[in-house]
Amino acid sequence: MPRFLSRRGFLFTGAAVGGTALVAAVGGVGYLATVDMDGPDGFVDGNRAVLNAFVAVHADGRVVIQAPRTEMGQGIHTGLAMLVAEELDIPFDDLISVEHPVEQLAVYTNYAAPLRTRPEDAHGPVMWAAKRALGLLPLMNTAGSSSTMGLWFPMRIAGAAARHMLVTAGAARLGVPVGELTTSDGFVHHGASRRSIPYGALTRDAAAVPPPREPVLRPASAWRLIGRSQPRVDLPGKVRGEPVFGADVVLPNMLHAAIRQAPVFGAGVARLVNAAEVRAQPGVIDVAVIDGRSVAVVAGSWWQAEAAAQRLDVQWTRTEADGVTSAGLAASLHAALDSDDPYIHLAEGDVEAGFRPGAARVVEATYTAPFLAHACMEPMNATVIIHGDGAAEAWCPSQSPLFMRWGVNRGAGLANVDPSSVTCHITMNGGAFGRRSEMDVVVQAAFLAARHRGRPVKLMWSREEDIGRGVFRSHAAARLRAALGPDGLPIAYDARVAAQAMQQSAASRNLPFGNGGSARGDRFTLEGLDKAHYSFPNRRVRSQHVPSHMPIGAWRSNGFSFNTFFAESFVDECAAAAGADPVAYRRALLRDSPRHLAVLNRVAALAGWGMPMPPGRGRGIAIEEAYESVVAQVAEVTVAADGEVTVDRVFCAIDVGIVVNPDAVAAQMEGGILFGVTTALMSAITIEDGAVVESNFHDFPMQRLRNAPEVVVEMVPSDLPPGGAGEPGIVPVAAAIANAIHAATGRRLRSLPLAVTETIGERRTRSVLRENAA
Amino acid sequence: MVSLTVNGSPVDISGKDDKPLLWVLREDLGLLGPKYGCGVAQCGACRVLIDGESTPSCTVALGAIAGASVVTVEGLARADGTLSVVQQAWLDEQVPQCGFCQPGFLIATTALLAHTPRPTDAEIDEAITNICRCGTHPRIRRAIHRAAAAQAQG
Repeated sequence: MPRFLSRRGFLFTGAAVGGTALVAAVGGVGYLATVDMDGPDGFVDGNRAVLNAFVAVHADGRVVIQAPRTEMGQGIHTGLAMLVAEELDIPFDDLISVEHPVEQLAVYTNYAAPLRTRPEDAHGPVMWAAKRALGLLPLMNTAGSSSTMGLWFPMRIAGAAARHMLVTAGAARLGVPVGELTTSDGFVHHGASRRSIPYGALTRDAAAVPPPREPVLRPASAWRLIGRSQPRVDLPGKVRGEPVFGADVVLPNMLHAAIRQAPVFGAGVARLVNAAEVRAQPGVIDVAVIDGRSVAVVAGSWWQAEAAAQRLDVQWTRTEADGVTSAGLAASLHAALDSDDPYIHLAEGDVEAGFRPGAARVVEATYTAPFLAHACMEPMNATVIIHGDGAAEAWCPSQSPLFMRWGVNRGAGLANVDPSSVTCHITMNGGAFGRRSEMDVVVQAAFLAARHRGRPVKLMWSREEDIGRGVFRSHAAARLRAALGPDGLPIAYDARVAAQAMQQSAASRNLPFGNGGSARGDRFTLEGLDKAHYSFPNRRVRSQHVPSHMPIGAWRSNGFSFNTFFAESFVDECAAAAGADPVAYRRALLRDSPRHLAVLNRVAALAGWGMPMPPGRGRGIAIEEAYESVVAQVAEVTVAADGEVTVDRVFCAIDVGIVVNPDAVAAQMEGGILFGVTTALMSAITIEDGAVVESNFHDFPMQRLRNAPEVVVEMVPSDLPPGGAGEPGIVPVAAAIANAIHAATGRRLRSLPLAVTETIGERRTRSVLRENAA
Repeated sequence: MVSLTVNGSPVDISGKDDKPLLWVLREDLGLLGPKYGCGVAQCGACRVLIDGESTPSCTVALGAIAGASVVTVEGLARADGTLSVVQQAWLDEQVPQCGFCQPGFLIATTALLAHTPRPTDAEIDEAITNICRCGTHPRIRRAIHRAAAAQAQG
């Protein structure tokens, strides 16, 4: 494995790549605004020329692209490869292969998610310092719908720089000026002499060319790939059953491990009653307590390990949470809505004035949402080996190689082993949704690897461990009030939410330093509640952190997943109170937000809003801005006399900025909508005696084909830089469904899930509105 | 000892009669296409064809299927590598997202089309009960219809 040692590097300014003037003097404002492309110089490795941290060209013409984000089904490897291929001027065909890099380089840092800004827009000394700090780690993670946003410039710059190096090498080879050369389809052409050289023949020379300081990016008018659907690079293998997910990692001499963790979070192992009996089970070579908190069984096969683990008799320590129930936790949320010390996130104008007696009509409602599990199809797993020389190597479908590295160090440390180095391999990933931003399973696997030094240990959780012992999206409750003016539109909007903060909980488990700061004002509790795009003259948004023993983690769209349900249901209630059509009402509220209004109008037209519907059927709409994209959806539902609810169709319009791979964006909307329909109708994690009740897909059910709505997606043309696509699709679904149920039945449902799941046969279910359920 | 035919090749396995077929395939035969997703025949990621029937392999003991012919996702393509009509339809419709559950859907659809060459939506709903967390459902339905049409054209 070549090491990227040289750091001659190259820098590009955001301004220059944006098309304006030149690079400002080093140290000036321009420098502070750079897109930092500091990476390796070109070097030759066998038949391969590594031209920079993202692009390697082989002598046979193959191009290997390093895509420093986890492919977890969102198609990011395809999108990032398209950006490189666009500028490198190569066809998008099977000569391109895409890898997640093994090296953890600063140039691969995710700036967009933690800084909440596009790297090219991160100006000024504070941002410069923050970028330097993140780059030192470096923070590599796939989260917050940030991958295309954050790599929109770097991937194209990498492609353009590599093309420049190839063209420069071609000019030298042909003895002509660079300016006389063109490229297409992986060739350098000299038109005057009708000579062409394939890139593969130039690799050795190109690697020695200094990277350009200011590569010129193609104008949008010259794009061949961006905006045109390209087939996903990972799908040919996936339809053959070929890709190696973390669960499929096989290494020589490998051991397998299964695990049992405390049912009540925070409890530990008081006594392992039958260790000897379990150790005597077929194939078992070790029964180990990890950090006093869980028990692992190590065997020659996972089936043996899991079968033996099922026999474990563990007495867990008593904790203060032993008596906790969902009802008690919900009561704590509602109490928090009355707290006299809320965090004030936003206070615009004089909200209280709107609510003075006699001043206006007041609409008020309280909403709730439950805890949720992720239930990724691929169960949690990690494989770790600590070699005899102390070097550690890990394979995991992680969302963050940084957290993986920290996890290996922490887990080995629990066994008093200090790895001399940690090499992280990000495998294909069977769904993540935020769950694999946790290092838990890596820590456990590394501990076991340290006990069995020299042998790889693959730890996989059972589905029951995954659903009942993992991390969760917080439950939440919100109270919203609005004072309506004479025109029926809100004069004042007052929203407060109570939930358990995510960032602090996740940081306390995953960061080696500190606890992530205050839980007060957690942005993942608040996002989606301010409805900034609506013109409310007076607006107040407040939150309250409600701690519990439950571990809270990232979950696809986080606060949006409940707040948009709350706020967009509430706006519908306001429209009803005003006697207004929900779309017309929102149009009035979006009078100062043309981008949002265009999306709203688009989805209304797509859905045929206003066309009459038969009795028992209804349409509902919701809109949100999330991850720099604007998304609106219309759900069509049927509610039968017995309360069975079916989501028939969902229409989705999204302004995601410039679309890189339209079919991949459509797939993310479809997937987000299906994920959101499951969540809205079916999903709840409940707590009894401090422990999660649900354990597998029979009691944490999913939409199956039978229940799945038809989905229609349209992208609104936009010339804004790309926004996020992985999460916005889920955001408006629940509110759109609740609003549709209201339209169909006149009933306003304010608690998620909206329905209970009834079994109607083997692997067949139906959803029945909660108040109709037996 | 249990004798089976797996993806057209005969195999003999000793001393594992109680082991679920899924784990025999994955751990003893190195066929990693069938996945563990739930262990209780709920999700369908482990589905394989057993004598042509789509079956969740996580709850079938090896000893119960002596002499059977088993086909996994790895056995769907022709020997020369040509994709089956179902696999090709999956690719044409760009169905998979994470792809972890898709081997089970490909198997279940292959079995469905063998019994019911032109399934209606209702027949698809009845037959395909697998779980996909990524939400590829709309594309799966389209791909099934596409595969059925391709199969009808021969």
